[in-house]
Amino acid sequence: MVSFLIHEKSEGEAMKRNDLIGGLFFLGVGLLFTLYSHRVEIGTWDEPGPGFLPFWAGMVVIGMSVLLIGKSLSRGGRTTESFFPQSDSWKRVVFTLLALVGYNFLLKPLGFVLVTFFFVGFLVKFIFPGSWKKAFIAALLSTVSVRLIFVNLLEINFPKGFLGF
Amino acid sequence: MDTLGYLIQGAQVAFQPMNLLFCFVGVLMGTLVGILPGLGPTAAIALLLPVSYHIPPVSTIIMLAGIYYGAMYGGSTTSILLNIPGEAASVITCIDGHQMAKKGRAGPALGIAAFGSFIAGTIGAIGIMLVAPPMAKFALAFGPAEYFALMLMGIVIIIYMSSGSILKDFLTALFGLLLGTIGMDTISGTQRLTFGVLELTDGIGFIPAVMGLFGISEILINVEQVVVTTLVTEKVKGLLPNLNDWKESFWPMIRGTVLGFFIGVLPGPAPVISTYSSYAMEKKLSKTPEKFGTGYIVGVAGPEAANNAASSGAMIPLFTLGIPSNSVIAVLLGAFMIHGLQPGPMFISKYPDVFWATIVSMYLGNVILLILNLPLIPLWVKVLKVPYAILFPLILVFCLIGVYSLNFSQVEIGLMIGFGVLGYMMRKFKFETPPLILALVLGPMMESNLRLSLLLSQGDPTVFVRRPISAVFILVSAMLIVSSLIPGIQKRRARLK
Repeated sequence: MVSFLIHEKSEGEAMKRNDLIGGLFFLGVGLLFTLYSHRVEIGTWDEPGPGFLPFWAGMVVIGMSVLLIGKSLSRGGRTTESFFPQSDSWKRVVFTLLALVGYNFLLKPLGFVLVTFFFVGFLVKFIFPGSWKKAFIAALLSTVSVRLIFVNLLEINFPKGFLGF
Repeated sequence: MDTLGYLIQGAQVAFQPMNLLFCFVGVLMGTLVGILPGLGPTAAIALLLPVSYHIPPVSTIIMLAGIYYGAMYGGSTTSILLNIPGEAASVITCIDGHQMAKKGRAGPALGIAAFGSFIAGTIGAIGIMLVAPPMAKFALAFGPAEYFALMLMGIVIIIYMSSGSILKDFLTALFGLLLGTIGMDTISGTQRLTFGVLELTDGIGFIPAVMGLFGISEILINVEQVVVTTLVTEKVKGLLPNLNDWKESFWPMIRGTVLGFFIGVLPGPAPVISTYSSYAMEKKLSKTPEKFGTGYIVGVAGPEAANNAASSGAMIPLFTLGIPSNSVIAVLLGAFMIHGLQPGPMFISKYPDVFWATIVSMYLGNVILLILNLPLIPLWVKVLKVPYAILFPLILVFCLIGVYSLNFSQVEIGLMIGFGVLGYMMRKFKFETPPLILALVLGPMMESNLRLSLLLSQGDPTVFVRRPISAVFILVSAMLIVSSLIPGIQKRRARLK
């Protein structure tokens, strides 16, 4: 009865896995907001409280995600589409993400200049592997440029780290 | 004061050296991001939002608007020389533009793209000037019910226009709406889902969210694979189109401008849709449709004019209703709000200097772009030679520094990375990000208008269909949802047979 709601404008049977994971994620989101809205006041229709929208929107999200999960489970066939386009794609994505997280963690202890230098150097050297010389020059030039623009020109205060710069 | 008086007042503001400088910086940046594949105008505006904190509001809006229409210019260069669209609205230019380049006619292709964009951008700016003030007057009759219904329609239209599943797009829009409720409730002062994190008190920071969703996620997608491109490297010469080129391109440019402008006013990814519509229209009207796809200049002129006119048209709902019609405009709306400017029916009368200065700056910007685009093409060709392996770390550093410089908060860097992962996963699992960002921006406004409407009507939800303007918006939304479902019903029935 309700499955017509899941009309897709673009075709693709390899969507089964995508929809199942997406549906589960949104089910969690819906549950989180619906349950949380009880901790703040939901209110009534004539006097809606701070939990009113999170509650009703959360309920709709739960309903829709159940539909999406149901549809993905009822869809036949196996997904043949690989998650990553190349066999080593995951490494580049994961290392880029780790570099971002590392930048955030090391920003205060190392200071803005050093962490930026290492960040750029690491990415240039290891993501699309380049020479040490290329990585060093790219890291040095970009660090000097951003230091000049953001610190000297825009006068923004960044953490100085243990070396004091 | 009449229109001419306001225009003169706007010109006085726009011609101030500082605003001229920011107009120049905006269109230059726009052209640059338009040229660089993998970095669209949404991400570019998001990247520059932190910098705009240190700039006066008028200059900020002038600069960010410049990025938007500048990107439309720049995108064509990459499409023509590289056969890779610099941004989504230039996909169609690849077809005939790159063919022209391969035949040694890259110069006229780039030239007609620049002239077409200039003509469309200029007519588009006049269009805003003529259409926006009366539309704003009409919108003065809006109450909370109308606003809620209008914003709902905006979200429904963007869902309708997107290429994914209706159900998935609704889910992402609702997710954006829910994320918008995080932080302190403006009516009761209650904290919602902040978990004691100070940075979440004012809600999820718009800049970290946008930079993550569009900037970081785009980079993560791009680093997945090494893309080998074929750049037409021979010297680009003869940028001025010949008389025959002009004769063939003039009317397609005018038609593209009119079509693009009106598509731009409608919510949705207007610049992209307008290029496809223009190309299809020109092919239909042409006496030699077989020439399309073989390096026919009309296939460049029409769409390039259309995407620029559409970016001008898209400014109208923003200025007059405070409604962003696509993700770029949603980020632009965020910039307005950061500077304490609330676009809507009162905007033009309340901030005439900002509105009219932006209009004048758009004329100026189009002149600057024409001057920039033609002689600087050799420079842009050099930029295209910078390998992505060097470029993406710089973009990431800019994201990190930009977000940190807002509030000197590492929590916000964490938020940006989190949204980056979310955006990346959404793309991988074929969930569209524009409905999320639109709902995230509109969410707090929608919530307060919904609650106000219910309070004023003493809890009667039919208030949204009893008021005529609101009823029209609800009806349009309902029609769009139903019409998008009908093929689904048909498909289902066909399968059952």
